[in-house]
Amino acid sequence: MRHPWLSVALAAVVAAFGLAACGSGNAGTSSGLQIWEGYTGAEANAFKHLVSEWNKAHPTEKFTSLYVNNDDSLPKLLTAVKGGSQPDVAYVYGSWAPNVAQIPQVVNLTKVVQRPGVNWDDFWVGERDVATVNGKVIGIPALVDNLAVVYNKTLFAQAGLQPPSANWTWNQFMADAKALTNPAKKQFGTAYVTPGTEDTVWHWEALLWEAGGEILNSTNTKAAFDSPAGLKSLQTLQTMAVTDKSMYLDPTDSEYANLFNSGRIGMLVTGPWDLSGFPNVKYGVQIMPSFPGTDGGHQTISGPDNWVIFNNGSARVAAAEKFLLWLTATPQATYFSLHTGDLPIRRSVEDSPGFLQQMDKALPGVDTFVSNLNNVKQARPQLPTYPKISTILGTMIVSVLLGKTTPQAALASAAQQVNAAIAAGSSG
Amino acid sequence: MLERVAVGARVRRPQELRRQPAARRKLRSRAGEQVAAWAFLTPGVAVILLFGVAPIVWSAILSLQRSNLSSSSPFVGLANYRQMLHDPVVAQAIEHTVVYTALFVPGTMLVGLFLAVAMNRKIRFINVYRTAAYATMAISTISEALVFIWLFDPSYGIVNYLFNRVGIPQQQFLNSPSEALYVIVIMTIWGWTGFAVVVYLAALQGVPAVLTEAAAIDGAGRWATFRRVTLPLLSPASLFLLVWLTINALQLFDEVYLSTAGGPLNSTTVLVYYLYQQSFGGGFNFGYASAIAYFLFVIILIFTAIQFRVGRRYVHYRS
Repeated sequence: MRHPWLSVALAAVVAAFGLAACGSGNAGTSSGLQIWEGYTGAEANAFKHLVSEWNKAHPTEKFTSLYVNNDDSLPKLLTAVKGGSQPDVAYVYGSWAPNVAQIPQVVNLTKVVQRPGVNWDDFWVGERDVATVNGKVIGIPALVDNLAVVYNKTLFAQAGLQPPSANWTWNQFMADAKALTNPAKKQFGTAYVTPGTEDTVWHWEALLWEAGGEILNSTNTKAAFDSPAGLKSLQTLQTMAVTDKSMYLDPTDSEYANLFNSGRIGMLVTGPWDLSGFPNVKYGVQIMPSFPGTDGGHQTISGPDNWVIFNNGSARVAAAEKFLLWLTATPQATYFSLHTGDLPIRRSVEDSPGFLQQMDKALPGVDTFVSNLNNVKQARPQLPTYPKISTILGTMIVSVLLGKTTPQAALASAAQQVNAAIAAGSSG
Repeated sequence: MLERVAVGARVRRPQELRRQPAARRKLRSRAGEQVAAWAFLTPGVAVILLFGVAPIVWSAILSLQRSNLSSSSPFVGLANYRQMLHDPVVAQAIEHTVVYTALFVPGTMLVGLFLAVAMNRKIRFINVYRTAAYATMAISTISEALVFIWLFDPSYGIVNYLFNRVGIPQQQFLNSPSEALYVIVIMTIWGWTGFAVVVYLAALQGVPAVLTEAAAIDGAGRWATFRRVTLPLLSPASLFLLVWLTINALQLFDEVYLSTAGGPLNSTTVLVYYLYQQSFGGGFNFGYASAIAYFLFVIILIFTAIQFRVGRRYVHYRS
């Protein structure tokens, strides 16, 4: 051969394309099944343990796990599906459920969760709502959390305030926040995240529900938040942010936790994931306050995430279903919660003897978040246009918090935009 | 070792070829060179085609479709481009991008030039200063953004503390729709200064002392020498920085994503950030996002063409 390097180069190119082509050939389960998940730290260890336990018991249906950052999972899944190389199982944020439901390769689990022994109703209603899109179950709950009030016990004592009780009201919250605010010490009563993203929005949605309001009407065709309840919820936030200046506004979505941990903030409305970040303060946890005189009572909002199965042939789908039902069954769910501090995804886990005490010992205050799961009474609207609605609501809330508009004007303008977005979404 | 083999090969070749008639020899060797060139280029070209050209072509097609990547993607002609004309956020994003570019590019060049001139002399610890100036390039955007978030924090930041000391009222900075973009301008000027300093320092070293000395002998003062001799000789570097920084400014994303997420109230939403929001950032409106990307591409093309054309008149290349 005159030019051996020519053949080498060509062979390399051919091999590269050949390898890429091999990725799509997966019929049976013998080549192993793949999971995409974004666990790190304690969660990663506990998950690894459970997967290896499964693999030991099921040598012909082995799973391997690939780390994919949760924030990027949907874009990556969409590209993988487009290229025909989707995983068998993936962890997907609950807020993406409506978008996931549009992917043709996503397996319909409606009948799977009705199988004997699954006990679908044992999952919290907030979880089941988010796993279901238009009556079709597209996922199995992977994680659940909710919002409650975490408060600094020392600051409460210094201000001569009683710690919040389980039947407190938003008026008490506002009064406490005002009393805890001290401009000279740069101390704030509470904080709110203002990047205008879904994190801004879901905090307010809990208030709206507690005031007896709804985000959309019952058929999800029109905005319903431009109501007395919507006004009450926004006015509550406005009073603290604009009038009392007792609310620290955090556009970065990250500073509030550090400030709370350094004793600069009295109360936070946040979830159990933040608790491990507060080692420097003595904190307590209480459920959300209520609006007396409304039928909302004490509520909260939950942000559950789902396990989703992608179709790579019936044998692999069957194995993936079996695996997920095993992974989310009570014994495995209990193991996972106890080793990670994550809230139990099933009611039966909470009810098992000694569970709450063990959880609380590992992460003080988490028991309140667990019992607060009973206050999850509704879920965000399951619409593919929800991300767009969320953006509109985010702008509405931030404009009120920054004192740029009145709650009335903000509600009216947002409702009009949401109606337009829903109309555009349904016509397309 | 490799080198020796190559040298040996080159030596052997003419002897081999001498046995053939001259004309055929020439033809054969040229064809051989062609094949060899292509063989070497093929892997590189394949990679560029696969990861460069293919996505560019695909997004051009996407920009003519309505696509969320999952279900079917019908062709909608120029509807995505028409939608841009009526989208108020696109208008805002263009405005923010232009304001940002107009402040960031000259700002970075001026600060860079000032520091480079200041450091272009033999003083003690000069290497420390030069390293410090370039360190801004080596620091990751994430740490840069975090530091600036704290510096400009309305309640706890050092900037408001200093303002307070000299009697300026407390500012809201990243919380204020009218100030947030300027904080990002300052943040990015800081981040890119090191780059401008290095380019200008290298160019300054190339300014011959003969010319500045001659100017001095002719009676030019220091400012006149700088203005009439040094600055024109720096013009190729200035044009390079102008084009490079403009392209980067028009594609601003990281700092916005990390510090304000386009807020408050869209006041820092620039084109690339809006494009991201429309696609992977939750919109899943890939057709529309691709149309915005192509619009930005055309803007960058026009800007760069103008800069080169205008530059030709003012840039002085030394032969």
